[in-house]
Amino acid sequence: MHGVGGQVIWVDLTKGQVEKRPLEEEIVRDYLLGVGYLSRVLTDEIGAERDPFSPGNVLGIATGLLTGSMFPQSSRFTIAALSPLTDIWGESHAAGFWGPELKLAGYDAVFFRGASASPVYLHIEDSEVNLHDAEQVWGMGVFQTDDILRKRHGRMTRVLSIGQAGENLVRFAAIMNDRDRASARSGLGAVMGAKKLKAVSVRGHGKITVAHPEVYLTEMDEFYRRMLANPFTPGRAKYGTTHLIELMQHIGRLPSYNMRQGVFEGYDRIGGDAINECYLVKPRADWSCLQRCGRFTAVRTGPYAYQGGSPEFESQSSLGSRCGNANLESILYAHHLSNMYGLDTISLGGTISWAMEAWEQGLITSEDTGGIDLTWGNHESIVKLTRMIALREGFGDLLAEGSARAAVRIGRGSDRFVMAVKKQEMAGQEPRAQKSMGLAAATAARGADHLYGFPVLDEVGFDDDIRERFGEKYLPEMADRLNPKYKGIMVKECEDFMVMIESVGLCKYGTQIPPEFYYDDVAKALRLHNGLEVTPAQIQLIGERIVNLNRLFNARRGITRRDDSLPRRLTDEPAPNGPSAGQTVELEQMLDEYYACRGWDLVSGLPLKSTLERLGLSKDALN
Amino acid sequence: MTELSHVLGDPEVCTGCMICVNVCSMFYFKVIGPEWARARVIRLENGLDFPLFCRNCEDAPCMAACPVGAITRTSKGILVVNNRKCDSCGACVTACPYDAIHLTPDTRKAVKCIQCGECVKRCPVHAIFLTSAADLSKRDPEGRLMRLHDRHSAELYDGGERL
Ligand code: SF4
Ligand code: SF4
Ligand code: SF4
Repeated sequence: MHGVGGQVIWVDLTKGQVEKRPLEEEIVRDYLLGVGYLSRVLTDEIGAERDPFSPGNVLGIATGLLTGSMFPQSSRFTIAALSPLTDIWGESHAAGFWGPELKLAGYDAVFFRGASASPVYLHIEDSEVNLHDAEQVWGMGVFQTDDILRKRHGRMTRVLSIGQAGENLVRFAAIMNDRDRASARSGLGAVMGAKKLKAVSVRGHGKITVAHPEVYLTEMDEFYRRMLANPFTPGRAKYGTTHLIELMQHIGRLPSYNMRQGVFEGYDRIGGDAINECYLVKPRADWSCLQRCGRFTAVRTGPYAYQGGSPEFESQSSLGSRCGNANLESILYAHHLSNMYGLDTISLGGTISWAMEAWEQGLITSEDTGGIDLTWGNHESIVKLTRMIALREGFGDLLAEGSARAAVRIGRGSDRFVMAVKKQEMAGQEPRAQKSMGLAAATAARGADHLYGFPVLDEVGFDDDIRERFGEKYLPEMADRLNPKYKGIMVKECEDFMVMIESVGLCKYGTQIPPEFYYDDVAKALRLHNGLEVTPAQIQLIGERIVNLNRLFNARRGITRRDDSLPRRLTDEPAPNGPSAGQTVELEQMLDEYYACRGWDLVSGLPLKSTLERLGLSKDALN
Repeated sequence: MTELSHVLGDPEVCTGCMICVNVCSMFYFKVIGPEWARARVIRLENGLDFPLFCRNCEDAPCMAACPVGAITRTSKGILVVNNRKCDSCGACVTACPYDAIHLTPDTRKAVKCIQCGECVKRCPVHAIFLTSAADLSKRDPEGRLMRLHDRHSAELYDGGERL
């Protein structure tokens, strides 16, 4: 097969052994690469009784089939393991250059089992793959680790590592690569920490061959032309996702004050225009990216001075409106610290805002916090807690457990304010203002999540794409973000598509928003790049297979329909103000529709036997 | 003599996407591989991304260094490597002050940018352009671009070592 390294690395950290295996093409045929491949391998490897922090947990990192290609936005890779935050299927994804570099070194995936007795890192340089002592970089932040490993192995070495948060087993620790790209959700940085694995550095001097070199460049030219001509592209280049603050405020979908409401009075001080005006240095891109949503920013003076990668919408809202914080420099800085320590900013802001609301209600006092004031918008406290959580100091030690566990420890009814699903904090998408996002958060395999399904077609007038992807008969209801009707159908479709996209290593920008490239384009790219002869229908089925396999992984750990829930606030309390005032999420109605079109049992929420048969997953069925 | 031109990039505009690098290796070698490309892109920690190309030097240290005369200047002023003559000694690689010429890992022949413009027309942000001394002084009268390159030369060039 073209476009792949053709080899997979298995590292046993307990024994300190490195083994290379050929890529199993029969798995690729049924699951592609990326998250599909990891889903298959890890479902077979990780038994139901395992603990996320035990050596028995297996951490996998896999590139997609198109990672390192010239298709627009083809830099991405997936990391998966049993999640220490949710205790179920954990996955996260990032862009950058690390994934393509792994391919150039000749590999498609790396797996880690066991745990090392002392800190180590893996260095991959073409055929040389070795574990090294990481004593020198253990305890260091992500940037310093990157500096030291690139000094040692060459400037063009691409480094993936954890910071102090992962080492300290913070349950929402991120894994970082290329300094500011984050595989943040699911707390997988803590899995690396538990394994005493500090980093994976890669340098590849090889080449990626393609199946149809004679037409490759001209075909890619056409994909580039379409991407650049998409009406979304100029705005994305100008703002990245930072301008979503303004847009979400406009439709009442900007989580504020711990998701109590969907509007924030200080929104214009933390939005895209505010960033562009004073702090944007320039847009930056990852491998083969034409959208360039990445930003490089700097705060030049004052206590929050830094330069580096910039927050996107999720970090802006979680550290900003969600905590009632309109101090933009503090948001930029807390985000920068999160990159350095290796923290998921969504769970960080979600956890701090939980504590702030509990503080307002008198359920957490300065006795609990060691004197830290948790009044809404106290940016000094937000910045201080970011560090204390990463280092597990004082009150930070409690918050490092995530909001769901912290609320159990604090008690006093504070769990009412936990805005999480399956113990993972919800992302910055106020679902009372967009019902599909509520459903997607409830059903996502990795716990609360906006990206597993990423149903954005009802967000701002993608009616034509809905017509194309689903058919006329679903309009106008499906395009109406406040109408729960057809959202089950939409979320199912989006989940199948998005896991397929994560399996080929493309970005959700360009495929889902804007919805420029669809199944037919991906199938074409797989033919041109990999020489894979697949139809759009076949890769659609693969997407569905992956979602069902993730469901079975979670079912083995006890997940049923009961767990596909949302915080009571969102289903029972009408949004108090703003453009979506009065709305709640009609979750049960949407779930019924979702399970029905998934072929899952309406009561248990588990795949029916006939569904598993259709997808070739019968052997994975629970007894 | 015709005016010497070369490709130059703006590190304050370049996003670091590597598309130019991949276009080059695909155009000439039908593979994706930065080690086969005639361009390099280096991302620095201060937000600058440098797309780097042969400067098409007037004094051409690479040509002077080649012991077998494999590097010559065409009538259009472009320095080219004759593949059949190049005997892989790497003298040009050491001689070039800008790490702009190197041997590919498999053919072991010297390759350098020949200003064909294939990457220039595909850069999504128009960060690179074909220029000459006269053109550049019009485009950038303050000398911002060359100053940026000079200021960071220690990080960009390493005496033939591909970084
Ligand atoms: S294609 Fe343009 S933006 Fe991309 S790396 Fe090259 S010069 Fe920079
Ligand atoms: S290869 Fe180097 S020495 Fe030769 S012309 Fe280009 S920049 Fe000058
Ligand atoms: S101008 Fe041509 S030879 Fe030079 S780097 Fe670009 S594609 Fe390669």
